[in-house]
Amino acid sequence: MADTAAPAADPLLRGRVAGGICALLPEVLGRELADVSEATTLMEALGMTSTTGLELILRLEENLELEISVEDLDREHFETVGSLADYVAANLLED
Amino acid sequence: MTVLAGVGVYVPEERVPIEELAERIGLTPMQVKIFRRYHGLGEVARAPKEGLIDLLRAAVADLEDFDQVKHRIRYVLHARSFSVVVPYPENPVRELCDELGLEHASAFAVGHHACSSGLLAVEVAGRLLAADSDDDPQALALILAGEKAFTPQSQMVPDTSFFGEGAAACLVQAAGERDRLLAYAVDLRGEFDDDSPETAAEYQNIYADALADAIKAAVDRSGTPMDEIALMLPHNVNLVAWRRVCRRLGVPTAKVVLDNVPTLGHVFCADAFINYRTARQRGLLRPGERYVMAAAGAGFGAAFAALVVEH
Repeated sequence: MADTAAPAADPLLRGRVAGGICALLPEVLGRELADVSEATTLMEALGMTSTTGLELILRLEENLELEISVEDLDREHFETVGSLADYVAANLLED
Repeated sequence: MTVLAGVGVYVPEERVPIEELAERIGLTPMQVKIFRRYHGLGEVARAPKEGLIDLLRAAVADLEDFDQVKHRIRYVLHARSFSVVVPYPENPVRELCDELGLEHASAFAVGHHACSSGLLAVEVAGRLLAADSDDDPQALALILAGEKAFTPQSQMVPDTSFFGEGAAACLVQAAGERDRLLAYAVDLRGEFDDDSPETAAEYQNIYADALADAIKAAVDRSGTPMDEIALMLPHNVNLVAWRRVCRRLGVPTAKVVLDNVPTLGHVFCADAFINYRTARQRGLLRPGERYVMAAAGAGFGAAFAALVVEH
């Protein structure tokens, strides 16, 4: 789903989202993290669960003052920091 | 061919907001927010003054012409999500049978398929009646579903849903015009029989795929193209799970009767029957149309199951 919409996303906005995700990860996962990048796998490397993933989305909305459509949100969007940033940037309800 | 000869339901009037339940259980505000925002949950049905027998009795009372057919009931099956549904030595199913004049029926519980035990009960009832059909083609089985959220485990499905109280009663016959059972499929996953966080996470990971696969298996077995399935009657766990299952099946979410998810919660094994009633009330089923009843659950292993039925 995100694949079709991602190219339309504003690169600046997407960068802000990716930065926001990286900043929130230690708080959501409850531990310090080193070397988090867009390629970092959320579930495999960081042990993110479906619940912590949804918590991350909620906190991201609060921090960046955005509203994210979750209708199409699925497991594959949580694969990496980058794939999640793609989804979020392409699925905002309002700017 | 097995038919669902009648469905009765009972949903108590009282509703409890999930915030109130969360406070009792000790969930964080963030967890509640996730349930409300993503899982689409709002309130659940609860009947604090009614016991299990009251719930089941009310569902039976909702069956049409029950008094005229009850002498034909040969089996009474209580479909259970949990093995223990009342404190020992209470036996509400036996007690209800005596009360209803069903002393002649064999009464027993069907379980170990977690919240898909209601679908298993339809399959079991069908097999029992088919085996008896030469000497008693008019015999019926009465399936009862519904439990009390009376233990900590039966308050909620972790990270997934809250249990609601209510009940359903379903009469099953070996043959008839409608609703005819075309296929049943179940995938039992014994590897989920442990309480570790890793297993719980893996269960969440495979949930939508496994449930979609069980539905596909039942639909294939029924010889029905997926796009000819008119409706899906889900278990009421949450909206996220069903959106994901639909995506995997290529079925629009609009075909899933999700009306009761935000208002009743997950009524143990009774969801599919309650949603059948909702579908009938909304005029969503026409004669000859095929629909799916599907459910999944975990607890001493996991089970993913589906029935295909022709209305």
